[in-house]
Amino acid sequence: MIAPLAHVGHWAINLLYVAPLVVVVAVLGYQTLKDRRQLRREGGQERRAPDEAA
Amino acid sequence: MQACFLDCAAMHRHRLLAIVPIAAGLALVVAPDAALAHGLVGREDLPIPKWLFGWAAAAVLVASFVALAVLWPEPRLEQPSERRVAAVPRFLDPLAGALGVAIFALTLYAGFAGDQTTTNNLAPTLIFVLFWVGLAVVSPVVGDLFKALNPWRAIARAVAWIAGRAGRGLPEPMPYPQRLGRWPAALGILAFAWVELVYSGRGDPSNLAVLALVYAAVQFVGMSLYGIETWNRYGDGFGVFYGLLGRIAPLRWARDGLYVRRPLSGLTGLDVVPGTVALLCVIIGTTSFDGLSGGAAWGEISPQLTDMWRSLGFDQSLALELAFTVGLVASVLVVAGLYRFGVLGMQSVDPRDATPTAEVAGRFAHSLVPIGLAYVIAHYFSLLAYEGQRIGYLASDPLGTGANIFGTNTATVDYTWVSATAIWYVQVAALVVGHVAGLVLAHDRALISFADNRTATRSQYWMLVVMIAFTSLGLWLLSAANS
Repeated sequence: MIAPLAHVGHWAINLLYVAPLVVVVAVLGYQTLKDRRQLRREGGQERRAPDEAA
Repeated sequence: MQACFLDCAAMHRHRLLAIVPIAAGLALVVAPDAALAHGLVGREDLPIPKWLFGWAAAAVLVASFVALAVLWPEPRLEQPSERRVAAVPRFLDPLAGALGVAIFALTLYAGFAGDQTTTNNLAPTLIFVLFWVGLAVVSPVVGDLFKALNPWRAIARAVAWIAGRAGRGLPEPMPYPQRLGRWPAALGILAFAWVELVYSGRGDPSNLAVLALVYAAVQFVGMSLYGIETWNRYGDGFGVFYGLLGRIAPLRWARDGLYVRRPLSGLTGLDVVPGTVALLCVIIGTTSFDGLSGGAAWGEISPQLTDMWRSLGFDQSLALELAFTVGLVASVLVVAGLYRFGVLGMQSVDPRDATPTAEVAGRFAHSLVPIGLAYVIAHYFSLLAYEGQRIGYLASDPLGTGANIFGTNTATVDYTWVSATAIWYVQVAALVVGHVAGLVLAHDRALISFADNRTATRSQYWMLVVMIAFTSLGLWLLSAANS
């Protein structure tokens, strides 16, 4: 366990190549959740509309 | 590192299914053991750290994605239009075929009869540098050049022509099995990559000549069974590979003339048959392994894999080949897993769409072609730039016997004409442009595949992730290999 920690500077730089991917996945994941919530709301409104008309 | 096979005599070289190889790939990136005590000493003189290029590339891809969503509301490439700009003389096709046969024969002769030192013989440089990389760079510009030069196709057509003139004709070919699709081509390219990156005897010209003969024999059998053009379209690995790259080009060569079209638009007409995605994953995956095998990570993993095979009773050389084979296949699986991840994500945006995953994967497969090209250019540009110069003296002395046919046998390789910094910029540019082109193609296809533009754009979130993953992976591999 000590060796990897002692050389953290050497391998941690590899993480910087993954970082943009992580950021984009996080942003798109958040956006997808927002989209789904909005779709659910729109769907709910559509379903309520006939009842309100009746 | 790509040049190593020429210079080194010794051997150097449904969701869960999608997630496993991706996790393996990410683990490889961050595995602490992989980079222990290895300094990252770049030869390039760069104004910013290499990893920052990864961030810049990701920013370019995100900006391209947003621009496509806003400025590209209608499909523009799906109904390709082309116009004929010139006639093609009828003698050109047989002439190019004869040239291809002559080059093939010279390669075989050099391989068997020439000096068996790798760099003194024409065969290795011709096969690995000018043929494999040079044609890949030229095809997206001038079109499918290999189809004209293809020696196996030219010989088969000559035999068919002679048989026709003799009044005998040839038996009708069998119908090509649909299930085979482009699988023979995928296996052919995988076998070539194995020879290039794994096989310990790849530097031996006579070995290469034998393997070239074996490949030609397989092509002749395929063409005689299923027809010349059918086999070249689906079965001949190189025919299919350069044919795909030629579809990027703004030029299309046909019997009745030369046509001009929008760049990339030729890819939208690609018929998706089984094995197409596999072939593209093989191209990207094997090229990735070329980068990986030159880096510190593989330097840590491969001895452990080799020891494992040795403990099972294999000798050192075979154990090393088996270890590299595992790495090669794993790289292809990681790439295939990444793409499948993107396809499954695309499917998730429209739960009502019951299209099978394989069909969706095929529908967007053409977007992988520019990525494959980008990987080939990025990983092999230095090989072409440096080792390609060997043709200067090999043209005069193809057998390494001291001949001086064109008076150039004293030519040398100038390793200073292009700097390491310039090579890095070419590599980054190739990766970024290739992935932006992939995004464009995927976006254009999504517009006709999904019910509305909003769903199409949402589906492309996933392709954006895949493209950024491929770009980051490519840059990481290159930075590791260059260190």
